[in-house]
Amino acid sequence: MAASPTAPPTSAGTLKLIAPLTPPSSTRTWLTVPHHSLPLVATATSDKTVRVYSLRSFTLHSTVSGGHKRSVRSCAWKPGTKGESVLATGSFDASAGIWRRWDMDMGMARERDLTGGVDEGDEEEDEGWRFSVILDGHESEIKSVAWSASGQFLATCSRDKSVWIWEEMEDDNFETIAVLQEHEADVKCVAWHPEEELLASSSYDDTIRLYREDIDDWTGIAVLSGHDSTVWSIDFEPAKPALSGDSQADASDRARWIEAREASGPRLVSGSDDRTLRIWRRRPKQKQPAPPTGQGRIPSIIRTHSIEEDWYEEARLPVAHERAIYSVAWSKRTGRIVSTGGDGRIVVYEERWSEPKGNEEKTDGLNPEGTEASDLPVARTTWSVVASIEMAHDVFEVNHVTFARRFDSGRTSDDEEIIISTGDDGQVKVWTVEI
Amino acid sequence: MADNANPTILNAADLPTRRRLSSHSATGKPRSFLFDDIVPADYNDPFATAATDSGLSRSFSSSSSDLNSDSDELAEPIDEQEVYDLISTISDPEHPLSLGSLAVVNLPDIHIVPAAGSSASSRMRTVLVEITPTITHCSLATVIGLGVRVRLEQALPPRFRVDVRIKEGTHSTGDQVNKQLGDKERVAAALENGTLLGVLRKMLETCQ
Repeated sequence: MAASPTAPPTSAGTLKLIAPLTPPSSTRTWLTVPHHSLPLVATATSDKTVRVYSLRSFTLHSTVSGGHKRSVRSCAWKPGTKGESVLATGSFDASAGIWRRWDMDMGMARERDLTGGVDEGDEEEDEGWRFSVILDGHESEIKSVAWSASGQFLATCSRDKSVWIWEEMEDDNFETIAVLQEHEADVKCVAWHPEEELLASSSYDDTIRLYREDIDDWTGIAVLSGHDSTVWSIDFEPAKPALSGDSQADASDRARWIEAREASGPRLVSGSDDRTLRIWRRRPKQKQPAPPTGQGRIPSIIRTHSIEEDWYEEARLPVAHERAIYSVAWSKRTGRIVSTGGDGRIVVYEERWSEPKGNEEKTDGLNPEGTEASDLPVARTTWSVVASIEMAHDVFEVNHVTFARRFDSGRTSDDEEIIISTGDDGQVKVWTVEI
Repeated sequence: MADNANPTILNAADLPTRRRLSSHSATGKPRSFLFDDIVPADYNDPFATAATDSGLSRSFSSSSSDLNSDSDELAEPIDEQEVYDLISTISDPEHPLSLGSLAVVNLPDIHIVPAAGSSASSRMRTVLVEITPTITHCSLATVIGLGVRVRLEQALPPRFRVDVRIKEGTHSTGDQVNKQLGDKERVAAALENGTLLGVLRKMLETCQ
C-alpha cells in the first residue's frame, strides 16, 4: 500500500488509511460498530438505514432499511449470538428496532457455529434482514443503544432525559425493566461494564451516571461530575488492562498498580464538548480504611450494604482536540484509547508506566490505609499521544471512532487491530496505526 | 422578535452589503430555494423520502449556492461581509422584517478565523456569529440562531465550521441557547422535525 501522502513527517505516529468502505453513503453517517465475530460492521446512517459492510472486501454487504422514519443514530450487535446475528437500532424517530439475519445469509458459513449441523436457516433462501421487534417508549430521539456483556439487557437513551433497560424474556418479547430518569437533560451515550451488570450513561447535563440493580430495582449508584460541557461519549476499559511500553518502573510498583487496578476493576473513559478526555476509577469498597492511629473510632463512612459506588477522576488525557470530542473508544486488544470530534482529527493514546520520580521511594502510591486524601492511588502511569491524523475525513467532522479486528488480506496477524472512523461526509474509513 | 411591539428598525438601504454595490454574483443564476435539498415536494410528510438533514452537510456540493465552489472562493475569499449578506436577509420568525434590519445580526459581530492546527488543516475556517436578540427574554432566540446556523452551513463550503452564539449580556438564558445551538445532534434532529422545519423554511424564504 502506498504511503499516505498526508502523513506529516513528525516523530509521533500517524494513522494510515487502509481503505474506505465503498460505496459511501450520500448522507451523514453517525456511527460504525464491528460485529463480535463476523468480519462485518454496521453503520448508522441519517438516511434511516443501517449499512452493513464487509471488513474482508471493504464493500457494502447489505442494508437494513424500512423500519425507521428518521435518522438511525446508533446501532449495536447483540453479543454472543451464533448462527444468527441480531442488531439493535436507535433512531431520531424515538423508537428502537431489533433486526435478525441468519449468518448463513451473511455468506459466511465458515464463521458460524458448525456444531448444529442443520439449523432452520440452512436450506432456506436468503431472507435478508428481518425486522423483528420495535421498542416504543421514548418520547424523543434515541441517541444511543448498547447491549450488556451477556446480551441479556439492552439499554437505550434519549433526548427525553431517560435511560431505559429492556430485557429479552423470550424470543422477540422485550420487557421494560427500568426507566431511569436521573439526568437533567438529553442522555447522549450508554455503555455497559464489560463484566458486571453495571450501566453508565453520559449527558448534555455534563455528568456521567452509573446504575445497578438493587434487589429488584435498577437505581443510580454514582454520579461522575467534572466535565464542563456535554459528555458525548463513554467507554469502559476492557476487563484485562494492557499497558504498553518498556517499563522503567520497578517491578513491585508495577505489581501494586496491577493489584490496585484489579481491586477497582475496569475504568471508564469519557469524551466531552469541553475537549477533554477523562479517566474515572472506582474506589474499591473492600479497602475500608482502618482507624488511622489506633484510636479505635469506627470510621463514619461505613456503608457496607450500600449499593452506591465512589468513582473519581483518575487522569486526564493530553488535550489534542480543537473542537468538541464526539467519540472515544478503549481498545480491548491493546489498551489504547482513540478519540475524534468536530475538528476532524483522530488521536490515539497509550498508557505507559511512569518514570520513577527521582530517588525517593514513593510509599503512598497505593496506600490502602491512608486518609481520604492519600487513599487515592497515585497514578503510576502516564497517557501520551502515540499517533494522530488531521482532516481524517477531509474537511468534514468525524462523528465516531472505534477499534476492530483486522480481517482483510493485508493483515499480518490474527489479532491485528484497526481503527474505523465515521464522518459527516457519509464515509467510513479503516485505518492502521503506524508508530 | 417576540414580545417587542416596537423594535428598532434600521433602514434596509443603510445596511452594509456588497450585493447591491457590485455585480458580484459568481453564477448570476437565481439561487434555488434553500430547502430544495432537504424538503421533499410532498411537504405534508417531510420524512417520506430519503431527504433529511443530510442536505445540511451535503448541499454544498449542489449548485444552489454561489459560494459553494472552493475554486471560486480561492479567487475571492469569503469574508465577514459575505457572511453578513448571507444571513442579514433571513426573516424574523414573527416580524415581517429581516434580521439585518432588526440589528439581530450585525457586521462587527461576525468573525472568521483560521482553524488551529498544522498546515494540513490550513483551509479550515471557523465562522463565529454573535446574534443580538431585540429583547433579553426573546423566546425565539434559539430558532433565530438555528436559522443562522442552517443558512451558513448550507451556503458556505464544508471547510467552514459555524458557531452561532447569543451576544454576551443580551439574553437572559444566553448560555442555554448557546449550548443548544452548539449541539450538532440537536440541530440535526431539529431539521427532521416538520414543524420546526416549516418555521425555518419561512425564515429563509427571503434569502435570495
